[in-house]
Amino acid sequence: MQLLFTLLQTLLDGIMLGGVYAVLAVGLSLVFGVMHIVNFAHAEFMMIGMFIGWLCWHYLGLDPMLGAFVALVVTFFFGMLVQRFLIRPILGAPQVAQIFLTVGLLFALENAALMIMGAEFRSVTTPYQTQSVILFASGPERLLVGMDKLYAFLMALASGAAVWLFLNKTRFGTAMRATSQDPMAAKLMGVNTNLMYAVAFGLGVGVTAFGGSVVLPYITASPAIGTSFAVLMFTVVVLGGLGSVTGAIIGGIAVGLIQSFSALVLPIQLQNLALFAVFILTLALRPEGLVARRRS
Amino acid sequence: MTRSHPLARLLLVATIAALAVVPLFLDPFGYALRILCLMLLFGALGQAWNIVGGLANQISLGHAAYFGIGAYSSTILFGSFGLTPILGAVVGAVLASIFALLLSIPTLRLKGHYFALATLAAGEMARIVANSWTSVTGGPVGISVPFRPEAGPWALQFETALPNYYLFFAAFLIVTLIFWRVKTSAFGYRLRAIKENEIAAEVVGVDTYRVKLQASVLSAALTAVLGTLYAQFQFFFDPDTIFGVATISVKMALIAILGGVGTIFGPWVGALVIIPLEELANSWLGNSLAGLSQFTYGVLLIVVILLNPRGLISLAETLRDRLSRRNGQ
Repeated sequence: MQLLFTLLQTLLDGIMLGGVYAVLAVGLSLVFGVMHIVNFAHAEFMMIGMFIGWLCWHYLGLDPMLGAFVALVVTFFFGMLVQRFLIRPILGAPQVAQIFLTVGLLFALENAALMIMGAEFRSVTTPYQTQSVILFASGPERLLVGMDKLYAFLMALASGAAVWLFLNKTRFGTAMRATSQDPMAAKLMGVNTNLMYAVAFGLGVGVTAFGGSVVLPYITASPAIGTSFAVLMFTVVVLGGLGSVTGAIIGGIAVGLIQSFSALVLPIQLQNLALFAVFILTLALRPEGLVARRRS
Repeated sequence: MTRSHPLARLLLVATIAALAVVPLFLDPFGYALRILCLMLLFGALGQAWNIVGGLANQISLGHAAYFGIGAYSSTILFGSFGLTPILGAVVGAVLASIFALLLSIPTLRLKGHYFALATLAAGEMARIVANSWTSVTGGPVGISVPFRPEAGPWALQFETALPNYYLFFAAFLIVTLIFWRVKTSAFGYRLRAIKENEIAAEVVGVDTYRVKLQASVLSAALTAVLGTLYAQFQFFFDPDTIFGVATISVKMALIAILGGVGTIFGPWVGALVIIPLEELANSWLGNSLAGLSQFTYGVLLIVVILLNPRGLISLAETLRDRLSRRNGQ
């Protein structure tokens, strides 16, 4: 009975965590799907989102769940600028150039944050951090979920759904998908592909920043946080298939489950090792992802 | 160089002669000599990376794994068993080759971004293992190379940086020579065929998997030996620097790419630009504001790529072409 509860609790924790990973990775997947470049600096926008969320909380008293919207808007426009001046010139360049430009961006953003915000860890205090909901109880055993994790999960779910609706149910989203499938044809149909790329990049980094602010109640912000999440985010998108929104959600939940279950058997330092091993194996066995991308 | 221009040959001889003579006039305990040492070491590292990354276009972001394996192997064997780092380097090279072989099973069929991502994760795995396997590696606090001057030259330890310099100079020339031999041999042509078009290479009978595997193992072994040299030079290192993405993996690749990827003199130019720049940034800006030197590094990377995605050598070639055209008219 105790074992069953432990397993159920681990499952639940994994799903809660995975939902957040999904929203962090949806942005990365979107950028790849539309522009076909892998943005190594993407995780830095999560860090930026966390700092914006923290600043809003610290100076304006805004809850990180609301600060997330500020983070989304600010990084959306910042991302459009980055795309216009840094990414657009290398869209047709060799992959080496794309890889190293985004790696350079990673160093620049992380260390800019270090210069502006300092190396301290910054956390927020909210009333719901210490609360949790008991979903099910039987005798001494109980199944519970922290309110902070639950809120983050719900916000993540909502933003994932919003991105999906935008891509699939609006004219703009249709044009963006057309650009991703065949930029030349899209251009001939009158789609402003440069605008599509800029919006896709802005939205991609914006959604990730949104996810960064949402997790602020239980993950402390620091300049190096992005780098430590980078491989995790790549694992999520690679598991789900680069470029697919539903894939990112499934990949996110899968990674969340891998993490929470490996925590049962492995010491804490080795958890990421398991994750990286899964990552390399997935790349090798199914580079198109567990969910093959829908064609045409 | 493809065209052996007499001027280029003269420049090459002059550079090698200068590299051989200049340190004699420098303070043997001085900072300038240390920078020169690091330039040669990282030039050699860039050249080792170039074998796979440059010729076959397999962009590895995980070479720090091999570098760290080399450094840890010789240091642990020397510290615990008194084994000379010369043999320690051989052990490191063998272990790094085994790691490259194992890693090649899941990664060698990957291309472009996917290969870069997989090797990045592999390097990070090595870092995690070094950080958590405390009983062997000493864990996150790092490990020191014991100083035993009584062991003589077998310990590869010297009173001044001058013998180190010539050791690194030799390593640099040897790795460059190996790269040149590889590039101009049939093996090198196979690697470049893979870079141009892997399917076409396969069709004309190149065993692409085998060729890439051989190149990876060679590159890994050389990188590991250089890791041993680095450990003997620095006397102390920790997992986060020796297996670092920015400190080793990206820097190696950057040095090869900055100068012109896949060229013999690319890493020379790359090391000549990157290492002094980084050292200067660290000594000028390092103390005033944390992160500024790394920030400059990132911005530099971006600017270089935006100016010319094909590297500084091609920039120099364009300039030369323009100049010679003007002279011809």
